[in-house]
Amino acid sequence: MSLRYRLILPLTLLLAAVMAYPLVFSAWISLHDYRLTRLYDVRFRGLDNYLYIFGDAPFLKAMTNTLMFVAGAVSLELVLGLGLALLLQRLVRFQNFARAVLLAPMFITPIAVGLMFRFMLSSELGVIPHYLRLMGLGVDWFSADLALFSLMLIDAWQWTPFMLLMFLAGLEALPRSPFEAAKVDGASPWMTFWHVTLPMLRPVILVALIIRALDAFKVFEYVYAITRGGPGDATEVILFHIYKTGFRFFRMGEAAAMAFILIAITLVLVVILYSAMQRK
Amino acid sequence: MTNTVGQSRLASLVVALVVALAIVVVLFPFLWIFLASIKPASVVALPDVWTFSPTARNWNDVLLGSDVPKNILNSLIVSVVTVSVALFTGAPAAYSFSRYKTGAGFRFTILAAEMMPPAILILPLFLILYQLGLIDSLMGVILAHLTFVVPVITWFLIGFFDDVPRELEDQAMIDGYTRFQAFYKVILPAIRPGIAAAAVFGFVLSWNDMFYALILTGGESKTLPVAIAGFWTFRGIDMGKMAVAILIAVVPILIVSFFIQKHLVRGLGGGAVKF
Repeated sequence: MSLRYRLILPLTLLLAAVMAYPLVFSAWISLHDYRLTRLYDVRFRGLDNYLYIFGDAPFLKAMTNTLMFVAGAVSLELVLGLGLALLLQRLVRFQNFARAVLLAPMFITPIAVGLMFRFMLSSELGVIPHYLRLMGLGVDWFSADLALFSLMLIDAWQWTPFMLLMFLAGLEALPRSPFEAAKVDGASPWMTFWHVTLPMLRPVILVALIIRALDAFKVFEYVYAITRGGPGDATEVILFHIYKTGFRFFRMGEAAAMAFILIAITLVLVVILYSAMQRK
Repeated sequence: MTNTVGQSRLASLVVALVVALAIVVVLFPFLWIFLASIKPASVVALPDVWTFSPTARNWNDVLLGSDVPKNILNSLIVSVVTVSVALFTGAPAAYSFSRYKTGAGFRFTILAAEMMPPAILILPLFLILYQLGLIDSLMGVILAHLTFVVPVITWFLIGFFDDVPRELEDQAMIDGYTRFQAFYKVILPAIRPGIAAAAVFGFVLSWNDMFYALILTGGESKTLPVAIAGFWTFRGIDMGKMAVAILIAVVPILIVSFFIQKHLVRGLGGGAVKF
């Protein structure tokens, strides 16, 4: 065997054991009535699990919630991240310090972020509702109407830094001459941004957007820490729904089928991401 | 930065103010949780107490009288073993993907593996580990963490290998090294900062995971994130102790991550995105 294959052999064996085999097993589970409480009686169901979940209101609700969460959180992060990156570039002093602090949230464990915000936004204990009340604003952040939006804000607190990181790198790498030309032509800052900066940043924006979207589909910890899917099913997201179906209700077959729907979505996004990365 | 030239003083001031506001938004939760960790139990549940006599009681209770030190050790073992295995398997493979154009297929597979949601693997992993008797063991969590840390580290390293000029190993081979010797005696040392950044990033991902650890551990084998979630359950909260545990989980990570910030974009791009 030539060296190029010997070098990838350990990785291939490892990923075959911890990923490929479980994936195949999971596909098998998704075709069966596989319950943790009835492991002795596993029955073949064909595609019934898939047909079932497509008509299953809680699954569809969890999908809708997740798509809304991904769209809301990621757009918020895109706008905030781009804005902060442009501002940071114009900061005259303490640029490195500001950058280091502003990137911090993306490195810490999401369960800690969830619990910190549950504490700070809680109607009884929370410091933020307390001061809002003093200003005459009574906001119940985790009510049925607002809970999903509050989770988006929390996601934005943690992950806007990722967008900022990508856009700062993107802005630094831009050539100078188009900006000089725009200046000579007397373009306003807004026109420069809209017609020069934004088009040149587009590849970076696309890559950052897709990576964040893929990641936002995996939201679990904030929901687990704060709302557990509630009130009602207002924040039931797909990962939490799969977790509940598989490990609370022990219906592994249906949970695996849901997981494969998620794989399909993920793969479509990864294909777009990969081609976006190669284009440069 | 040409486009900053000619910025008026007023504009500079506005920029500074908005950035300062963003810094406050980022830092306030950390400050508030730190205050919660040193507040006496009587005021921790009151939302606006700024003046109180600080106490070390929560810190004492958590560090000396709880399972948290054990949880820290568990998390450390899991992260270190996971990252070591990932480096040993990922570095040679990343070199091969970078040097031999082994086809886009491999790179795509690694990227897809990196992006795979954990919900997909947790069901079969749980059942397999259950049959192997590895539920509630660190071994089980390590195997689960390998599923995301290995692809991430491999993806990271491809980017750094791509940056090493081919002349380096050509020269080493003229000097009498075999290709493999050239790889681990010349190329690996040349990308040491990249390896360090990949290792730290992989460590952070493993240390931060709660999803797999929540399902695969319990009792003695709980990792730190699972333990943190355990301070606030339907039975009640222990806010002060939870604050201490959060700070223990978060502060070391903030310190190490500071050193990898500048390598992160290169690593995430995986040799594909050139900024």
